[in-house]
Amino acid sequence: MAADTHLEKETEQIQDIWNGGTEPMKASYGKLMMWYFILSDAFTFASFLIMYAALRVSSEVWPDPNAVFNSFPFLHGTKLPLGFVTVMTFILILSSVFVVRAVQEGHRMNQKGVLLWMFLGILGGLGFLGCQAWEWNHLIHQGMTFTSNPFGHYTVPEVVDGQTVDVFKGYVNLVHDHETGEFNLPADGKDNKGNVIPENATKHTGTYLFGCLFFFITGFHGFHVTTGVLLNIMIWIQSARGVYQRSGNYEMVEKVGLYWHFVDLVWVFVFLAFYLL
Amino acid sequence: MAAGHNDNAAYEKQKRAVWVATIIMGVVTIAEVAIALNWPESWGRGVLNLLFILMSAVKAVFIVGEFMHLRYEMRAMMISILAPCLFLIWFLIAFMMEGQSWLALREFWN
Repeated sequence: MAADTHLEKETEQIQDIWNGGTEPMKASYGKLMMWYFILSDAFTFASFLIMYAALRVSSEVWPDPNAVFNSFPFLHGTKLPLGFVTVMTFILILSSVFVVRAVQEGHRMNQKGVLLWMFLGILGGLGFLGCQAWEWNHLIHQGMTFTSNPFGHYTVPEVVDGQTVDVFKGYVNLVHDHETGEFNLPADGKDNKGNVIPENATKHTGTYLFGCLFFFITGFHGFHVTTGVLLNIMIWIQSARGVYQRSGNYEMVEKVGLYWHFVDLVWVFVFLAFYLL
Repeated sequence: MAAGHNDNAAYEKQKRAVWVATIIMGVVTIAEVAIALNWPESWGRGVLNLLFILMSAVKAVFIVGEFMHLRYEMRAMMISILAPCLFLIWFLIAFMMEGQSWLALREFWN
């Protein structure tokens, strides 16, 4: 008899667990699912970046990032390697921090705080997108597209073991002639290190894979930033209308905030892959 | 009253943790760029690349741990999110090997 009631009680407890409403991870369903969506998205980005790694390893010559990303808006002619992308990285990190602050104010039910920090977060996101638009425009103007790449190198014929072979001598940023569509050696006849390019040198444009992968992966990241900004704006409007104040929690800010931090996380690896390595 | 005071202390602590994480990430980013620009060519790319990967990993830990708050979640939740990422290690190694094989094929056919 006693054993039966014990069994009944246990069955009841198990049924309670499976009836829903429990939070075994101590996180709401929505937040947990946002995390698993982010996990799946992380795999998508990882696949792209690993594809980048495989194609880069398979290429004999790859452009030097310090020579590719060396321009800064309004500072024409000055070479600031990685200067602009550092600014972009800071903007995105700060934007992420602002959204963390918005989430923290949300926990305190401080509507004004959420609105202020979320607004700054949105500004940061828009700032990043603006920077990216400038960088893309600048690179396309230099002649970098899906099919062409001005960041090339030059070779010089040398006799090795009785055979004449073209030997790699250095990197050179070729100049795109917009009328003929050709890529020429720089007018000053110097390579990226300032060495004079010999007369008998052969110019080579860079691998088109560089442009393909750059525009595809930073584009996919930029698409995520755009989506994140739109979500942040939606959350800001909902907060301003007092929807979360009435429902008693600002968890939506937290969920969208998770997505926004993920965008920042991906940028760390895009930055690593394209600008540092 | 006491609960309110504790909440406030916890809030101040979280706020500080986030700004500390921000400063660390900023310093790491500046260090990365400074190293990239000043690394002597004779020291080779191997150590440099390893350094970059480690520094990026530091930034990733701060974003996921502090900003995304995963450090403070339940252990089971942390594992369920982080453990699948271990698959990426072999994914990366396998495709780097694949890339090297493509390079060998390219050189062979040239």
